[in-house]
Amino acid sequence: MNRQELHTMAIKAREQQASCKHKIGVCCGAGCISIGAEEVLKKMQEDVKARGLESEVAVVPTGCMGPCNQGPLVKYLPENTIYQKVNAASVAEFNQAQLVEGKPILSSLIFADSRTKPFINAAEDPFFHKQLKIALKDCGELNPEDIDDYLVHGGYTALSKVLFQMSAEEVIAEMKQSRLRGRGGAGYPTGFKWETVYKYVSDQKYVICNGDEGDPGAFMDRSVLEGNPHRVLEGMAIAAFAIGANKGYAYIRGEYPLAIKRIELAIKQAKKIGLLGSNILGSSFSFEVEVRIGAGAFVCGEETALIASIEGKRGTPRPRPPFPAESGLWGKPTLINNVETFAAIVPIINNGGEWYSEIGTPKSAGTKVFALAGKINNAGLIEVAMGTTLREIVYDIGGGIQGEGQFKAAQTGGPSGGCIPASHLDVKMDYEALVSLGSIMGSGGLIIMDEQSDMVDVARFFMEFCMDESCGKCVPCRVGTKMMHDLLEKIYMGSATKLDLDRLEELAIYVREASLCGLGASAPNPFMSTLRHFREEYENKIQPEVQLVKGI
Amino acid sequence: MTTLDIYIDDKPLKVEPGKTILEVCRENDIDIPTMCHLDGLTDVGACRLCLVEIEGVNKLQSSCTTKVSANMVIHTQTERLKRYRRITTELFFAERNHICAVCVANGNCELQQLGYKVGMDHIRYPYLFPSCEVDTSHDYMVMDHNRCIMCTRCVRVCGEVEGAYNWDVMNRGFNVRIISDFNTPWGESGTCTSCGKCMHACPTGAIWPKSLSGEQLHKNPEMISELVKKRKMNL
Repeated sequence: MNRQELHTMAIKAREQQASCKHKIGVCCGAGCISIGAEEVLKKMQEDVKARGLESEVAVVPTGCMGPCNQGPLVKYLPENTIYQKVNAASVAEFNQAQLVEGKPILSSLIFADSRTKPFINAAEDPFFHKQLKIALKDCGELNPEDIDDYLVHGGYTALSKVLFQMSAEEVIAEMKQSRLRGRGGAGYPTGFKWETVYKYVSDQKYVICNGDEGDPGAFMDRSVLEGNPHRVLEGMAIAAFAIGANKGYAYIRGEYPLAIKRIELAIKQAKKIGLLGSNILGSSFSFEVEVRIGAGAFVCGEETALIASIEGKRGTPRPRPPFPAESGLWGKPTLINNVETFAAIVPIINNGGEWYSEIGTPKSAGTKVFALAGKINNAGLIEVAMGTTLREIVYDIGGGIQGEGQFKAAQTGGPSGGCIPASHLDVKMDYEALVSLGSIMGSGGLIIMDEQSDMVDVARFFMEFCMDESCGKCVPCRVGTKMMHDLLEKIYMGSATKLDLDRLEELAIYVREASLCGLGASAPNPFMSTLRHFREEYENKIQPEVQLVKGI
Repeated sequence: MTTLDIYIDDKPLKVEPGKTILEVCRENDIDIPTMCHLDGLTDVGACRLCLVEIEGVNKLQSSCTTKVSANMVIHTQTERLKRYRRITTELFFAERNHICAVCVANGNCELQQLGYKVGMDHIRYPYLFPSCEVDTSHDYMVMDHNRCIMCTRCVRVCGEVEGAYNWDVMNRGFNVRIISDFNTPWGESGTCTSCGKCMHACPTGAIWPKSLSGEQLHKNPEMISELVKKRKMNL
């Protein structure tokens, strides 16, 4: 297929879709599927057929729509009306109201149980209109299993633009101008990373997509892969063009079977029409992508461990330097970016780096996807501009704390991050601000806690996670996290003394500074940040010191 | 030959490019303790004893895996590094059972030497002492996992020097264990050549010959380094 044929194909697909007056999207993200979305989809298709409307109403599965704890969700377009908690038995009722009578059922609208006046056009609800969707833009709109739908939404035009109108240097310059930073957590400037790999001369280079999302409570990458896999592939292909690679690996954790299925399907579809493979769109650029499935180790999200895992070795990190940009997969220059980073490439190429750089804060451009979870009314998947305050996320988008609860703290960055207490609710969320509070942006897990949460228990929980997930290679992480966990347990059980807390603090700094990789280096963060903001909770649990010898 | 100017502990040195910081230190009598390093084997940077401070680099780097570069300013003996070396040593001793008095390697043990070197007069952390297996199934040697510090020198010498790939690592975190083949008893290994290199490479009393104990036990890890050197020679 060449460029013109791609264009024709997109037009044809668009015309076909335009012939439908309505589009019904049934959220088929992993969350909604787990509570019966597939049955809803089947019933929906049957009901539309029974009404003889199949030529004017398209019923499609979509990726995650966002408000995950209200699922299964059904969206009617063009009205953009979303219904929550839809079950298969009531599908006919919704179709009757929406398609035949044109009168929405108000009591089942999205957030009908928490808002006094729910919105018929979901985009007007604060949950949606306070968000800015760039990486997730088409997620929840298009059918992730249908490449035509992706083409209708402008798919692969960015790749086509890059291949025929830009040089590798121009793509990198655009990325640098966008000021996009790695969304896996560390926030390294993406453009600079690409440039570094580009500059190494080698007969072979690789692009790796890191989809080994493992933080407890995080599901951003899963949702992107499930909801818009072609976007990730297109981003990878653009990166490969820019750095001079012809082979890519999508490393997805084994616990994400749906994401794996959809990315594999997307690769197959793209290959079939020549958007992956040799001489893409008739250019001289060739690019293949293979999927690699993780086997359940959290540490394989660390880039050097991930590379070892792809090579078929035990997934353990190795010291850097050399960085993967110089010596990565099989010793070749390798670019590793996170799923969400790749999902941001296409809009940057289409709209320009300058457009992206104007969103967000001076040091952190663009948007960030968060997986909002915990004691919050509207849990789910959100994307906000950098610099959005935590208060806006919790109260406007999240709809506040569940029940009568009070906000106590938000945990960002999962087991590698820290907590933000209520006194900092107005923090503008970006990389620097979170670090200054002793936390990190991380990959985007955002767990909201109310005053029922015991912060020592929180620290203990995350330390247990790190202890279990330590690969066991280096001493500070293997033994240090175990010692720290046992000490936290002792404090939690109320049998520790001041000496134990002092020892814990000393160990925390040691584990942070002496560990081989990021897992160990960040493992003390939840403890250190809860200690910083909630020291009194630790001190309240500590036993007074016993004086063995009097008079000293 | 081109040389690089570097500073180690305020001492200016001219060194060959391509060498690791540890190599340069050893050549210049700068003492850095190590456990997982053994000359001739690939370095893994796992024990973290050889960490050094490099000016301009915000992370501590393992000197065994970091190559020297021009104008590097390295500190190897700061108070922080000494403190960390002692903590690492204490964690080794607290992790599994390392009671020297009842160990076959008593007096011939690198871990014991390390304890003296870093001035470890007591251990501040609770002993974890998991109950580990003692594999006596091999005809000539014993693998006592209670004495193992997971330096993986046995794994590397077996693969890289002997080429047998008998040893590997299983599980993770605190539960990691050295395994023979796919976790079969050592005596039933289909790959072990009984060459004994792992026994010599082992820095503690984890691998030892059945016929010897106490002061009779002499491990000779330098033999491994010599062997690797000789193999690289094209005589």
